[in-house]
Amino acid sequence: MSRLLPFLFVGVVLAIWEAVARSGAWSPLLFPSLAKIGNELMLFFSKAEMLTEALVSLERALGGFALAAVAGILLGIVMGRSRFVAALLDPLFSGTYAVPKLALFPIFIFVFGIGSLSKVALVFLECLYPIVVMSYAGARGVPEKLLWSAQNMGASRAAILRRVVIPATAPFIFAGFRVAVPVAMIVVVITEMVASADGLGYQVIYAMSSLRTDRMLAVVVVIAALGYLLDKTVVLARDRLIYWEKLDTYYV
Amino acid sequence: MAVAKASLLIAVLLVWQLAALRGLPEYVLSPVQIAAFFAQALGTRELYENIGASLGRSLPGFVIGSALGAALGLAAGTARWFDRLLSPAVFLTYPVPKIVMLPIFMIWFGIGDLSKVLIIALACFYPVFINAYYGVRQTRPILVWSALGMGASRWQVFRRVVVPSAAPMIFASLRVSLALSFIVMFAAEMINARSGLGHLIRIAENSLRFDLMYVSLVAIAILGYAGDRLVRFAHTRLVAWQQPA
Repeated sequence: MSRLLPFLFVGVVLAIWEAVARSGAWSPLLFPSLAKIGNELMLFFSKAEMLTEALVSLERALGGFALAAVAGILLGIVMGRSRFVAALLDPLFSGTYAVPKLALFPIFIFVFGIGSLSKVALVFLECLYPIVVMSYAGARGVPEKLLWSAQNMGASRAAILRRVVIPATAPFIFAGFRVAVPVAMIVVVITEMVASADGLGYQVIYAMSSLRTDRMLAVVVVIAALGYLLDKTVVLARDRLIYWEKLDTYYV
Repeated sequence: MAVAKASLLIAVLLVWQLAALRGLPEYVLSPVQIAAFFAQALGTRELYENIGASLGRSLPGFVIGSALGAALGLAAGTARWFDRLLSPAVFLTYPVPKIVMLPIFMIWFGIGDLSKVLIIALACFYPVFINAYYGVRQTRPILVWSALGMGASRWQVFRRVVVPSAAPMIFASLRVSLALSFIVMFAAEMINARSGLGHLIRIAENSLRFDLMYVSLVAIAILGYAGDRLVRFAHTRLVAWQQPA
């Protein structure tokens, strides 16, 4: 019984959904049946152009994220190891951390055009913050004892960076990644909903405008699955690379 | 000291202003121009009405979502059966971008404010739930045992030991959820609204009113910053035994 409990909630929700859809009390425009959504899902995966849409969104999300990862780790580690750089950059990052960078999107459209570039740029900017903040915290907190021992044993600065600082910072970097990956998906979907002619976010809006709730929900399921898979990939990569430290989480 | 802290920001603004003197594209205004337009907008009703409309959506959504997240997170962290029932569904849907639910909410709850408040509440729910949950689970068992040993009731243990030890983590997540509430509010207003800062920036964009675009941008930046300061202030006052990082 207790094993089934986790699935119970999801099962009950789906059952209620199907019951509502079949009762006919609401229009299928509001609650399309699971069969219809499933059918649209099948159609989604059988059409090459729909898979292209998913690929477009994925490329934007991962492109912006990858750029943010490279820049963020660099900035974070340099800030963590140099007081001067930290004093220079930390006020800038902490001061603008709570500001919704999304508001820059209309300006980005003028600067980078309405295509992929403005979206990738915004994903980069939004992902940069969590990665910088976490890598900075990690690099700043490298135990002095480890650094001293490495120095004492004659390690060069490059060796200390590669063998001590980066491994000690890695768990923090991955914590930043886990925040940044869902952010990347959110920003891509939002920007595609607001101004785009391709990508999954656009497909959601397009399906809604054509009053195809079933198709819209199918695309929502695809976006949800994508978000989930990306998160799982980060966790998997983390556990492979940081084998010496177990992630202390319960479900995720 | 304050000047030294802001040195990079001042340098950026200075270079930006100097570049503007040499000529920038018309969609990039200089800092002085932006400040002037913003000061001008402060004298109009339009700005306040849109700020009011935006806050009227984001704050109820933030309060509902965070309160529900804290309550259910505390419950799931405390009661085993509730944890088994609810947590898998929450953790499963956590990495999903919640904004995709907006069109569905618009169909279910109309294109008015209700669907926007609910989508903001949904987005704010997750971080608070997860932090409240882990906050409870990180409670030191020795504190619970001592309280029980001294004859505290289960409710007293919850009220006096579990909640206070989870409070710092809950406050940390409130910062995240407040920032999220502004992002989702802005997104929802850009997608579909008749008022609010997101709407303002959209009409500014469509009518090439670059001044209005920057006014809206500055307003949302100030709101985000002020809200974050407020949560941090509440954190230091209410959770006095642990300072925010």
